Order: sequence, then structure tokens, then C-alpha cells
Amino acid sequence: MWQDTSTWAAEALAVFAKEWRCEFRTRYALNTLGLFAFTTLVVVSVSLGPLGVSTSQGTAVLPVLLWMILLFSAAAGLPRAFVQEEETQTATALRLAATPSALFCGKLLYGMTLTLALEALVTPVFVAMTSLDVKSPGLLAAVLAAGGYGLAAGSTLVAAIIAQARSKGTLFSVLAFPILLPLLLIAVELTRHAVAGDPADVALLQLLLYDGSVTVAGFMLFPVVWNP
Amino acid sequence: MRKLLAWLLWLWISAVIAGAFLYAPLAKGFIGQSSRILFFHVPMAWVSFVAFIAAGVWSLRFLYFGRQPRHDRAAAVAVELGLVFGVLATITGSLWARVMWGAFWNWDPRQTSIVVALLFYGAYLALRSSLEDADQRARLSAAYAVLGLVVAPFLFFIMPRIMFSLHPQSVINAQGKVEMESRMVQVLLAGSAGCTALFFWIHNLKCRLLAHAERKSALYE
Repeated sequence: MWQDTSTWAAEALAVFAKEWRCEFRTRYALNTLGLFAFTTLVVVSVSLGPLGVSTSQGTAVLPVLLWMILLFSAAAGLPRAFVQEEETQTATALRLAATPSALFCGKLLYGMTLTLALEALVTPVFVAMTSLDVKSPGLLAAVLAAGGYGLAAGSTLVAAIIAQARSKGTLFSVLAFPILLPLLLIAVELTRHAVAGDPADVALLQLLLYDGSVTVAGFMLFPVVWNP
Repeated sequence: MRKLLAWLLWLWISAVIAGAFLYAPLAKGFIGQSSRILFFHVPMAWVSFVAFIAAGVWSLRFLYFGRQPRHDRAAAVAVELGLVFGVLATITGSLWARVMWGAFWNWDPRQTSIVVALLFYGAYLALRSSLEDADQRARLSAAYAVLGLVVAPFLFFIMPRIMFSLHPQSVINAQGKVEMESRMVQVLLAGSAGCTALFFWIHNLKCRLLAHAERKSALYE
């Protein structure tokens, strides 16, 4: 049994390592996500003007903008994890090589690290450019971590679904948004709490509950999605 | 037998419509006759909720209990009908919101959740139409419907709790008490039952039609 577990973990880690190795060969996702996020960030900052918005308006508006930037950057980069496998016709080899759940775990880890890296890059710049005054940075970090994970988990599963369909690019946004919307609404609400310095109350628990449910659903559904 | 049931359904729903205008009293605290839309809005919203759950359950049965095409058809038809009833519930709801709240749309949590449900139905149908292979279409759209079922509780039960809502909680509220005149409750329950029966009647017709079309196209191949 222990051996099974260690093979499974080794498979998952191998997929994870493979994703990042491929990524560093082209740096496609990193460049696209980074530049996309930076462009939208500049648009937001320029449109708000040199003085930004007042504190009360900022608390209401800026968390929404931050999560919009994160959502659309993630939607630009995350579906690639599976779309590329189908396009370069490596999916069949992957089907033979790895257990579906281990594969999903590896892809999920890749998506999560990518999203967290994106957040680590974008959030400080966003806070600096919009001169956002965050009252409780600890809560903000927790929301970004939990929200980023949920974003990656939902997107990874939807990416696996759309990779086999036609018109993949547009279909991803259409399919992912109803699934990710509850997460975003809770995350925006929590980010507002973090900016204003309010306690997190039950919303953080709900966010973690969402993460947990999507993860369980992902591990349950991925084998059916992946194997024809 | 089927014909008789269809006629009974017709009679039942006609009686509900008549009851909504003639039998049930007006609710207190509502402008004019606006509370009468309750007897149509609530059953339709209820049916779109039932359709959502039904699509998820049929998809689960398809995925994990034998991959039968009829379960896939049932899920797809439930989503189509859920979309129709959901749109009707949204329209009646926003007409009522215009009268009572002064605006057709104000992102009340209930409005948010119905919009996401409609988006979900639309996405499901978009996914179906972009998959050509029948087995693949059934498998992937079933997986998506189950994912929707997992996320749905956050929309229907959790979201309205963290956000302020103006929506009346007349039937199902936190206290578990019915705060309505008993004649209104009767019409409302009869309407919900009628609407649910209407849903399953159309669902059955449509599934049989689809099964027939598939048998026919299999014959010609």
C-alpha cells in the first residue's frame, strides 16, 4: 500500500516537474500571464488617474479590479495545460503513462503554483500603483492563497473538459465563469474585509469549503473526463 | 392513459391560474395586485431549481451507473427546460422587482444566483453543441453538470447569507414557519405541483422524441 502511495506521488510530482520544464522551455504561459496582467494593471491605474480614488471608493472598487485582473490572466494561461496536450498530440502518451488522479494532481499543482506566482507578482504592484491601503495584510495573503487555489482547481478541471472540444478558447471562459463566480464573489467580499481591516468571519470558511468541494469534485470527475 | 393525465394537468393548471386571481387574497404590504405574480414566479423558480438538480442526478447516473444514453438525453432535456423556466422566473421576478423595489434589476443575491444558473445552463448547451462525437459529448457534458451540482449550493444557500437580500422569504424561511394566508399557501403549493408536473410531462415527451429520432437515424445508417 505504501508503495502504491509513493508511486502515485512520484507520478504526480513527475507531471508537475514536466509541466514546469516545458514551461521554462518556451516561457509561454509566464510571458502571456505576466504581460496580460501588467497591461490590465496599467489600464486600471491610468484610468483611475494620478491621484487614484478616495479611500472609501477604493475599498469598494479596487478589490473587484484586482480579482478581475487575476481571473482574466488565469483564463488566459491555465487552459493551456490541457489544450496543449491535445494540440501536440501528447495526450495519448500521457494517458498511458500516468494514473488519471496523479495526473490531475500534478496539473493542479502546476496551475496552483502558476496562479500563486502571478498573484505574488501582481498584487504588490497593484497595491503600489493604486495606493491601496491594506489594513490586514495577513488576511489578504490568506484570501489570495485560498482564492488562487480555487481558481486553479476549477480552471484545471474545466480545461480538461474543453481540451477535447472545438473552439476551445472561447468555450473555456463560457464554461469556467459560472463555476468560478461563487469563488470570485466570496473572494472579493473577503478582500474588501482585508482592505478595511474587518474580521474575516465565516466567509473565509466558505472559501475553504469551496476549495475543498471543487478539489473533491475534480478528483472524482477527472478520470471520467480524461479516459474516453 | 397518457392523454388522460395530460388533460388532468391542463385542468389543474387552469384551476391554479383561476385560483391565483379569484380565490387567493392579496398579500399585505405589497403594492396593488403585485403579490399575485407569486403564484407564477415561485413555481417557475422552483422548477428551474428542480431541473438543475435533476440534470445533475441524471448526469451522475450516466457517469457512474452504466453509461446509458437515455440518462444523457434526460440530463440534456432537463437543462433545456431548466433554461426556459429559469428565464421565465427571471422575467416575472424582475417585473415584480420593478413594482416593489423600483428597478428591474438590482443584483439582489437571488437575482445573482439565478443569473449564474442561467449562465451555467447556457454553458452546458454550448459545450454540447461543440462536441461532435456522441459518446464524448455525453461524457464531458455529464461531468460538467456534476461540477455544476457541486458548486450550486454556494449560490443557492451560502451566497444569500453573506449578502443583504430584499427578497421575501415567505415560504421557506429560517424559522421554518409559514407566514402566509392559508388560501395563498394552497394556491402556491398547487401551482408548484402543477409546474413540476408540467416540467416532467414536457421532459418525458421530449426524451421520447429524441429517443425516437435516434432510433430512426440509426436505421438509416
